[in-house]
Amino acid sequence: MKKFALGAIALALPLAAAAAPESYTIDPNHTYAYFEVEHLGVSLQRGRFERTSGKFTLDHAAKSGSVELSVETASVSSGDNVKGNRPRTLDDHLKTADFFNVAEFPRMSFKSTGVKFAGDNPSEIAGQLTLLGVTKPFTLKVDRWVCKDNPMSKKPMCGGNASASLKRTEFGMKYGVPAIGDEVRLWVSIEGYRD
Amino acid sequence: MQELLNNPAVQGGLAPFAAALAVAFALFSFRLAGLAVAAALGTAVYLIGGFAFPPVSAQQKILLISLAVPVLGVIVDLAFKPTRAAGPVLGLVFGLLVLWVGWNVLRQKEAAAAFAAGAGVVALVAWLTAACFALRDDPVRAGAAALTLGLGIGVSALLSASGSYAQYAASAGAGAGAFLLVQMLLGRTIQAGATFALSAGVACGLLAAGASLGSQLPWYAAAALALVPVATLLPLPRSGVWLQAIVASAYGGIVGAAACLLSWPVVQQRLGL
Repeated sequence: MKKFALGAIALALPLAAAAAPESYTIDPNHTYAYFEVEHLGVSLQRGRFERTSGKFTLDHAAKSGSVELSVETASVSSGDNVKGNRPRTLDDHLKTADFFNVAEFPRMSFKSTGVKFAGDNPSEIAGQLTLLGVTKPFTLKVDRWVCKDNPMSKKPMCGGNASASLKRTEFGMKYGVPAIGDEVRLWVSIEGYRD
Repeated sequence: MQELLNNPAVQGGLAPFAAALAVAFALFSFRLAGLAVAAALGTAVYLIGGFAFPPVSAQQKILLISLAVPVLGVIVDLAFKPTRAAGPVLGLVFGLLVLWVGWNVLRQKEAAAAFAAGAGVVALVAWLTAACFALRDDPVRAGAAALTLGLGIGVSALLSASGSYAQYAASAGAGAGAFLLVQMLLGRTIQAGATFALSAGVACGLLAAGASLGSQLPWYAAAALALVPVATLLPLPRSGVWLQAIVASAYGGIVGAAACLLSWPVVQQRLGL
């Protein structure tokens, strides 16, 4: 009987290990948050944040997971960053109290509260977005998700793309509405390596 | 109509001016025309939508304080006879309050930088509050100082990147302009008192401090703006409110314009700033 119990434990251990949540650390060189907002009712202007960090966990067997992302708002980039003789660039303006207020709120963050799966992959990540000191429920739709080994380093990695939209005025970013649109579309490209 | 009200110049200038003019005309006989600044700022806040309670950002805290201060001003005018120490004491109180306003920014700086920035904005707010309060019995100089201070902060803030600070400061200036215009149209002075002087001094001081801390208003431009109330103390013609208002505004305007120039990158490069 004792031998049987030991054998059962020995058999179960690898299964337990396989079912444990896997923890991943974000690759900052391949993880970016992008945004798009309407300008003067004419065009959709885009930008991105250059620095994002965070972690995520995945448990494929239990179909659960978690995500924590932290975006440095001072890394906002619209492509307009050469001032010349102008008083400011668009990047300068985006950093002021009119928009991302980076001196006061240097980070925006997302912390998941639940991950939905469709098949083997996450399809929707619900959570809380904190922007300008205001925290609101926020859901990312996962548009694409792949887990595999990095072809070069052979390290296990997962990543994909997610998207969402928000109303910036709900976070207190009211400057320029409606000339500069209230609705902001967001995309996140994310890659992480298993710890 | 909505398109008109969405125009930044209307939100920060024309609409606040019109509201302030109506308030100043309606209340000058009750010695409360000083509420013009609060009316102007309140109109801008309503149209821009920047008010939040509880306040989260420095700008929201500034707007909350600036809209509450006129109540204190009215109480001071109705219930107290301020002594010579009142201005410096009020300056110190509102100067220290800016530490609460700017706490989110200051706590993220290195200790030395936080101390320097904190001491600078405390001094700026304390000085502007006390300097404007000292003009409370001289409605023309008080009006001219607040007009040129508000517009100077507004243009400087716009040049140094913050449109919302520019709009709010311009609205305070517009309110002071309406207060001054009522005197010019009546051909006589009307009471400024603490209601006007405290409202204008605290709002302008806090908005300049906020633009300096949270945006990129250079410290030397803020220092130049601090001289605006002093400039309005220069000699004025003995009679004629019209002429006095224009001359006092020109004094303040020259100093305010200098601050605006110091916020312009071309000038900064030329001066090696």
